Amino acid sequence: MSYGTTIKVPFGPQHPALKEPEYFLFEVDGDIVVKVTPRIGYVHRGVEKAFEQETYLHNLYLAERICGICSHAHSTCYTQTVEGLVPLEIPPRAVYIRLIMAELERLHSHSLWVGIAAHEAGFDTLFMYLWRDREMIMDLMEEISGNRVTHAINTIGGVRRDITGEQATKIKKFMDKFEGNVKEYMKVLETEQTFLKRTKDVGILKPRDAIALCAVGPTLRASGIKSDVRADDPYLAYGEIPFNVITHDGCDIYARTIVRCEEMIESANIIKYALDHMPEGKIKVPPPRTIAPNESVGRVEAPRGELIHYARSNGTNKPERYKVRAPTLGNLASVCQTLIGAHVADIPLILAGIDPCFSCMDRVIITKKGE
Amino acid sequence: MVLHEIFGVFVYPGMALLFGLAFLYEWIDRKFFARVQNRIGPLYTGPSGILQPVADFLKLLSKEDIVPESCEKPIFSVIPIVYATLPLIALFVIPITGSALISFEGDIIFLMFISALITLSVFLAGWSSAGSFSRIGSIRSALQMLSYEIPFGLALIGPAISAHSLSLTKIAQWQAANSSWFLWLQPIGFAVVLISLLAELELVPFDIPEAETEIVAGWLTEYGGRRLALFRLGKDLELVMASTLVASLYLGGAQPLFFIPPVLILIIKSVVVLLLISFVRALFARFRIDQMTSGMWTYLLPLMIVQILLVQLGIGG
Amino acid sequence: MSLFREAAKQIFRKPATLKYPFEPGIVPPGLRGRPVWDMEKCILCVLCQNACPTAAIKMIPKGPDAGIEYHLDRCIFCAECADACPRKAITMTTNFELADTSRSRMVQHYKKPQPAQSQTQTQTQAQPPKQ
Repeated sequence: MSYGTTIKVPFGPQHPALKEPEYFLFEVDGDIVVKVTPRIGYVHRGVEKAFEQETYLHNLYLAERICGICSHAHSTCYTQTVEGLVPLEIPPRAVYIRLIMAELERLHSHSLWVGIAAHEAGFDTLFMYLWRDREMIMDLMEEISGNRVTHAINTIGGVRRDITGEQATKIKKFMDKFEGNVKEYMKVLETEQTFLKRTKDVGILKPRDAIALCAVGPTLRASGIKSDVRADDPYLAYGEIPFNVITHDGCDIYARTIVRCEEMIESANIIKYALDHMPEGKIKVPPPRTIAPNESVGRVEAPRGELIHYARSNGTNKPERYKVRAPTLGNLASVCQTLIGAHVADIPLILAGIDPCFSCMDRVIITKKGE
Repeated sequence: MVLHEIFGVFVYPGMALLFGLAFLYEWIDRKFFARVQNRIGPLYTGPSGILQPVADFLKLLSKEDIVPESCEKPIFSVIPIVYATLPLIALFVIPITGSALISFEGDIIFLMFISALITLSVFLAGWSSAGSFSRIGSIRSALQMLSYEIPFGLALIGPAISAHSLSLTKIAQWQAANSSWFLWLQPIGFAVVLISLLAELELVPFDIPEAETEIVAGWLTEYGGRRLALFRLGKDLELVMASTLVASLYLGGAQPLFFIPPVLILIIKSVVVLLLISFVRALFARFRIDQMTSGMWTYLLPLMIVQILLVQLGIGG
Repeated sequence: MSLFREAAKQIFRKPATLKYPFEPGIVPPGLRGRPVWDMEKCILCVLCQNACPTAAIKMIPKGPDAGIEYHLDRCIFCAECADACPRKAITMTTNFELADTSRSRMVQHYKKPQPAQSQTQTQTQAQPPKQ
């Protein structure tokens, strides 16, 4: 059904479906989206410039505040980059503690996302259940690190807090329970007709498009492409831990949900394995105050996808240049492609499907025609 | 005599009782819905938060009144009053105390007319406020009405055919006299009436016209302050209307039982219906409007026609 | 309908949410709340001031006001100061209810006890009121 003329539907910067301010202008023909114009930059905070003003240790806390949800991923990536500049070898126990925190964070981020997806589809009860379980993970992280969101457990040269034996048994016990819960929710998601109707064959991203448009993380894996920094370029102790890279051939929102659910189960297993195989020893080595001129790139698989940090040192105690490339920026082009041809009612679901984190993403990007 | 009637309209079983019930039912719905979701629900206003709906209503009344510049001002201001009044009028026909305030042969048709008018007022409310989200919401609500109205009407007619009356009071009395509820006689009709009432009340999975994550608040987007308060009161009254309607049509109505007054019986029955509605709305995700329309026409309507045929063949009453 | 069993179970279960502001919240032992200085131990060595990423700590080295000026409104509770302190004079308490309506009340002055005075610690500004 075509009406010949299109209506412009603004979406954002304030909209209940968007948890962060970002603006999209949709051109709608009847109920079908024909054109999407994103306008990013509402939450640009000048983080990269701020990095150049502070010392390496102080910047750690800035890196942690780039994202409110994957704060540990950012600080891990930061420490990895800075340790690459020195270069510095961190003690094996610290590596494992960082990894356990990273996987706990993936659990809470994914359960957050699956909850949001359920909420966008109007499935509020499941949203409440998932967030209830997420709250327990947050409590666990708070107990380990001392804070719910900005854990401040990483430091250059290791970690600041150890995981005690008591905490380890508590985490393991909780992981078993959580895994059972996730399996229960997966059963609900796989059989609930109203949810399937809203998510199956909605927001199709073909594998070819996914690669061409630089999609990353669960969005890419839900298009059937096996790509995960943890497996492709093992950092921390991922090379020593057996785990599967979850993929799904559905290419739709449903596939993205299932990929994230299965990754949660996989993460729970990684945590259990890591706790069992955690080496004893020191948790940190003293970092140098100044760093000789060097360049370094850190890659981390954040819950949302591949996260890249780049740093250049100049012999002082401050970086000369720092660059952050958050996964949402990689996924934004693909989501705009996916939205074309979608129903208006499906916009929030598709947009939420990449797990957008706009404040992570907003950097100054100046693109001029012909350059 | 006149005084008695005035008392009937304004106090019991009229407006005072109905407003009380409206706020009580909203509280029950919120509390129960919260419990299903493992939450506590309203808690601090009054014992167990029972006064929360009243507090919300009063708070909204005191808020700033905003009228968008480009809206149709006369309609925009009148519709909230109309929306709150319509379910109230419908409630006068429902035999809450055993006999309705107004009862006449054919009041079921009157009820159907009112329920259509409610949706029409929703459409006008969204359309007159001239926002893009409101317009989408109002179109959706009109589309939704086109799909649930016919099965809903048929589900009301089913018991009427069996009881040989178009009067709600008489249908309730028929059930009492034959000591059998239409719930057991016409179970398909009961299911259909529940589903179409979910659509009428705009509850999940049919909260499409005000889908929060898609179109902000749908047709309600531009309303605030006392207009929104009236809409919320209207919604609560609609909730009372829906649950008492089902209770008196399918659950036997206000049958006297031992020494318990019939009002209490009806309230208990309608609370059961209300709990059922709140539980069902916790179980689903939202449909898309096209899925909802086609689903209603392809499944609900044939089912209801089968039910009517069964009734005509003498099965189920 | 697949949620039916799970949802029906919840009706009789204790709600997961807390009545937090009306009942005390659950505080895990290692929580990093507001830092507190023990001025008996403090040697005014500036290490905490240097370690602070947000410049929430200002040291006044000399004079009658010699001591630590702590800005609660800037603090991010990273505990770098507590780690940096050579005398372990800074402890992170588990107090997390730190909101206030006035910015000036969020600046706190820890005075170094003067040798002549018997007073151990005085605070120029009032403690933020407890909720």
